[in-house]
Amino acid sequence: MEKDTTQKLVEYFRAQIREDPDVASAVAAIRSLLEFLKRDQSETILGLRENMTKAIQRLEETDSSVAVSSGGELFLRFISLTSLEHPDLSQCKNVMIERGELFLKKISLSRGKVGKLCHTFIKDGAKILTHSSSRVVLKVLENAAADNKRFTVYVTESQPDSAGKLMAQKLHNLNIPVTVVLDAAVGYIMEKVDLVIVGAEGVVESGGVINKIGTYQMAVCSKAHNKPFYVVAESFKFVRLYPLNQQDVPDRFKYKADILKTVKDLNQEHPMIDYTPPSLITLLFTDLGVLTPSAVSDELIKLYL
Amino acid sequence: MPGADKETELSERIEAFLSELKRCGSGAGSLRGSAETARETTSLLRRITAQARWSNAGDLMEIIRKEGRRMTAGQPSETTVGNMVRRVLKIIREEYARSRGSTEEADQQESLHKLLTSGGSSEDNFRQHFTHLKANVIEAINELLTELEGTTDNISMQALEHIHSNEVIMTIGRSRTVEAFLKDAARKRKFHVIVAECAPFCQGHEMATSLSKEDIETTVIPDAAIFAVMSRVNKVIIGTQTVLANGGLRAVNGTHTLALAAKHHSTPLIVCAPMFKLSPQRIQIFLRSFCFLLPGEILSKVNAHCPVFDYVPPELITLFISNIGGNAPSYIYRLMSELYHPEDHEL
Repeated sequence: MEKDTTQKLVEYFRAQIREDPDVASAVAAIRSLLEFLKRDQSETILGLRENMTKAIQRLEETDSSVAVSSGGELFLRFISLTSLEHPDLSQCKNVMIERGELFLKKISLSRGKVGKLCHTFIKDGAKILTHSSSRVVLKVLENAAADNKRFTVYVTESQPDSAGKLMAQKLHNLNIPVTVVLDAAVGYIMEKVDLVIVGAEGVVESGGVINKIGTYQMAVCSKAHNKPFYVVAESFKFVRLYPLNQQDVPDRFKYKADILKTVKDLNQEHPMIDYTPPSLITLLFTDLGVLTPSAVSDELIKLYL
Repeated sequence: MPGADKETELSERIEAFLSELKRCGSGAGSLRGSAETARETTSLLRRITAQARWSNAGDLMEIIRKEGRRMTAGQPSETTVGNMVRRVLKIIREEYARSRGSTEEADQQESLHKLLTSGGSSEDNFRQHFTHLKANVIEAINELLTELEGTTDNISMQALEHIHSNEVIMTIGRSRTVEAFLKDAARKRKFHVIVAECAPFCQGHEMATSLSKEDIETTVIPDAAIFAVMSRVNKVIIGTQTVLANGGLRAVNGTHTLALAAKHHSTPLIVCAPMFKLSPQRIQIFLRSFCFLLPGEILSKVNAHCPVFDYVPPELITLFISNIGGNAPSYIYRLMSELYHPEDHEL
């Protein structure tokens, strides 16, 4: 019976992503978890929490990105905080559902907020370098273009899935001049660009980011050339990890979900993400404001302590 | 009618203040330090609070915001005016929250925690009327004024911790804060000061004269010699016009050169800046005319550019000494969130 409900959850999650490809995976995850909460039949808060934890684990197995993990942990935290205030289950559930809807509404708007904050940092005539395909970066560039700013964009191809070409197509549709460059050409192109803007799959406690493989390289290059390196991310991507180097990032994030299940020797696989330390990042643009990397841990402490 | 008289008197004072500000910018009016500007702005805002007509906090904030916009438009390079307006707006918000008896005024910023736990709309339009609000706000502004008066002394009191005997200190241009800082240390320690003259207005000369009157051994060097002399310097202590939100500085031209030379020689760079210089604004370029210093034959043949300020990135700065103590540049964002409300960043 339990497999049945979690199966429905996974289907709901997949349906969300299919219907609206623009939605952030964490938002889809939280929406699915809220649905699960509404249909849950447990009698106690502890039972509710246990079911939730299992559901989150099941979602992580479906989509192994950092964003789903951080969205799930945030939701779990949300339940703990609400259950502390209202120990009675039925009352607690109503409050949770009400607050959950409100929370969902707020975070659906966060991409717009980030876009509004960041586009003022793009000056007229700027040359921007970005990596792979990020919906938040697209929103930022969309806002800047709507503000009648003239700029050109260089996008890396971003192998192995050529996501950069998709980004270039989307930018082309917005009438922004865009050039696709090889991943290996980042060092070559860095002297031409004025600033680098990338998205993030997860923002870690130290203020560093986890993003598509190749981001770390780009950050090191931009530091060497003294170009500002900006990261745009919504606040629900903040995750309670503190990696000290690339090996510290857990394997469950590095590889896609199906590879984790089928392959025996992970050393032969190519990781999909890498970790960029905070010393290479100039500023982070989030819906909570423009933060320096040192301010990120402050935000996380406020939430989790 | 006494009401109308007060209104006209108030607008006259505001106009007088605005024209003072405009004149200072072009160098014609009396050269005042930013501390005096901050004090005058705050007293003017206190007067507006006392004399203008308003019935609730929302109206008062609108009035102050409007006047604040006019004042900052009058002299955009003088950021202390805008900073004081934002401080007063934050004071009004706090007093309003206190009058309403709400205890969550401590965390009015957006945070993940607030996103998760708030139930219902957090819109607060400040429309409730409280009888004691005026008195409370004026009292809080008086406290702010007392704080402003003590800033230079608070900074100078920390001098002995940072300056040791027989040290060589370098500074640039003329900063009243650094002057007081060095003079305070000179009462108990013997040290040597090198002042970069900071062309083309050479304010460094006045600084050197003033320091040598207190029996401090001073040397004046041209700006071009900064790098050459840096190897003999133990510390660099500078003032600044503005501290930006990322921990960077907007300081007098030549400061970036000084900071880069200090970084190259691994010399600590200490910035003495009172809290009222902290500003949430972005970098803008200001140019000042110095054509009168160039000989006539050159003027017709070349373009002369004289930027007034330099931007110094936070990586080059070691320590900020302010009236509330010493802080690292990476901590400035936190101080700013305590002083100003995010909605007031744009007036």
